[in-house]
Amino acid sequence: MTNAKEKSGAKKRVVLLAGDAERRQLIEDHPEAFLVSESLPLRANLSVLENIAVVLQFRTNTYIGEANDTAWKLLTQVGQTGCAEQRDPDLTYEERFVAKLLRAIVLSPPIILIDRPAQLLPDTNYPFFLNRLLLALEGRFEQCWILDYAWNAALYTSRA
Amino acid sequence: MNALHAWLTLVGQGFSEWLDAWVRVSRFAMTALIGMLSPATYNKATRLVVQKQIYFTAWQILPGFCVFAALFSYLIIEIVGITARKYGLYEYALELIVRILVLEILPLMTALFVALRTGAAINTEVALMKIQNELDALQRIGIDPMRLELLPRVVGGTISVLALTAVNIVAALWLTHLAIVDFHPWTLTDGDFTRMIGKVLDIPVLLVLWAKTLAFGFAVTVIPISEGLSTPQKLFHAPISVLRGMVRLFFSLMLIEAAALAMVYV
Repeated sequence: MTNAKEKSGAKKRVVLLAGDAERRQLIEDHPEAFLVSESLPLRANLSVLENIAVVLQFRTNTYIGEANDTAWKLLTQVGQTGCAEQRDPDLTYEERFVAKLLRAIVLSPPIILIDRPAQLLPDTNYPFFLNRLLLALEGRFEQCWILDYAWNAALYTSRA
Repeated sequence: MNALHAWLTLVGQGFSEWLDAWVRVSRFAMTALIGMLSPATYNKATRLVVQKQIYFTAWQILPGFCVFAALFSYLIIEIVGITARKYGLYEYALELIVRILVLEILPLMTALFVALRTGAAINTEVALMKIQNELDALQRIGIDPMRLELLPRVVGGTISVLALTAVNIVAALWLTHLAIVDFHPWTLTDGDFTRMIGKVLDIPVLLVLWAKTLAFGFAVTVIPISEGLSTPQKLFHAPISVLRGMVRLFFSLMLIEAAALAMVYV
């Protein structure tokens, strides 16, 4: 990406984009990446725990108990076990975001793209929240790219 | 002339849309059939969805639906038995009951019940999944929605219709014995009953019966799913999708029933 500006951490990168076309292109260029996005919802008739566990169960043919244990461990790691049995409509923005992130992280993909966090976490100081969350999950993912627009750059200056 | 042209265009468009919808259903049915028969479809996650589908479609309603089917069957058995006796045709009552109740009414009634309860629910769920982009979300995290969400519903729904029909048929045959031989032993004996059942339910008839039930089971899941998948991604299309799916399903069930009748009697 020629226009994208990056603010790098060890495994976390904030990719600041000039506009929507650039964002779409970046996502298209990384089909191997797991995307955490407002446009990719959780399965509405599954609980948070099931939404995370089903990925492991389907992709690695794991027993349901084992997959649920892994999902529970991830939720414990980020301190969100309270929402484990809840379904999408009952979740807060933060809980929904955590569920989407853990669903992407459970298989340790090479890249996780967090698409426009402002849309996913409208009521949260998201640079701080993401920093804390990704620190809690260190060792569970290889790279995490936060795709945000350049006009939000100031939000990351003190915290990135 | 313009009005005629507009009317013909409208009719043509309607016919084209109707044809497209049936082509979509046929394509999905073929894909589902191949998927169902492929061992690669099944893993621990898909088997769990199949189990859940059987639980919600058959096990959850088993007691209530069987009591209803038994009461309904008993009513038909009594009406046919009493009417036949009134006209001196009691020896034909048993054959009539088996042919009408066991071969025709019970399989169709079970399919219609499952269509109303599960078919409508599946149609709504798949339509909402499509509208809310849940299918793409699954695809994006490496889960094939066809394998995880759609095929298990077809397998579970088909098994459920077969199982519910079998249970209802066994109950109806037992009630027939109870009503015709045990309660009103006017002319028929146990031997007559067994012989008559064997005569009516011969191998070709049984094959048609189970092929028809299998087709019912397949239709009550495939048509709603196919209709749900073709829903445009706008929320107000959800009820339209269910409406279309249910109408298409009703006609398909009637068509299967008519074809089975033609195979046995024509």
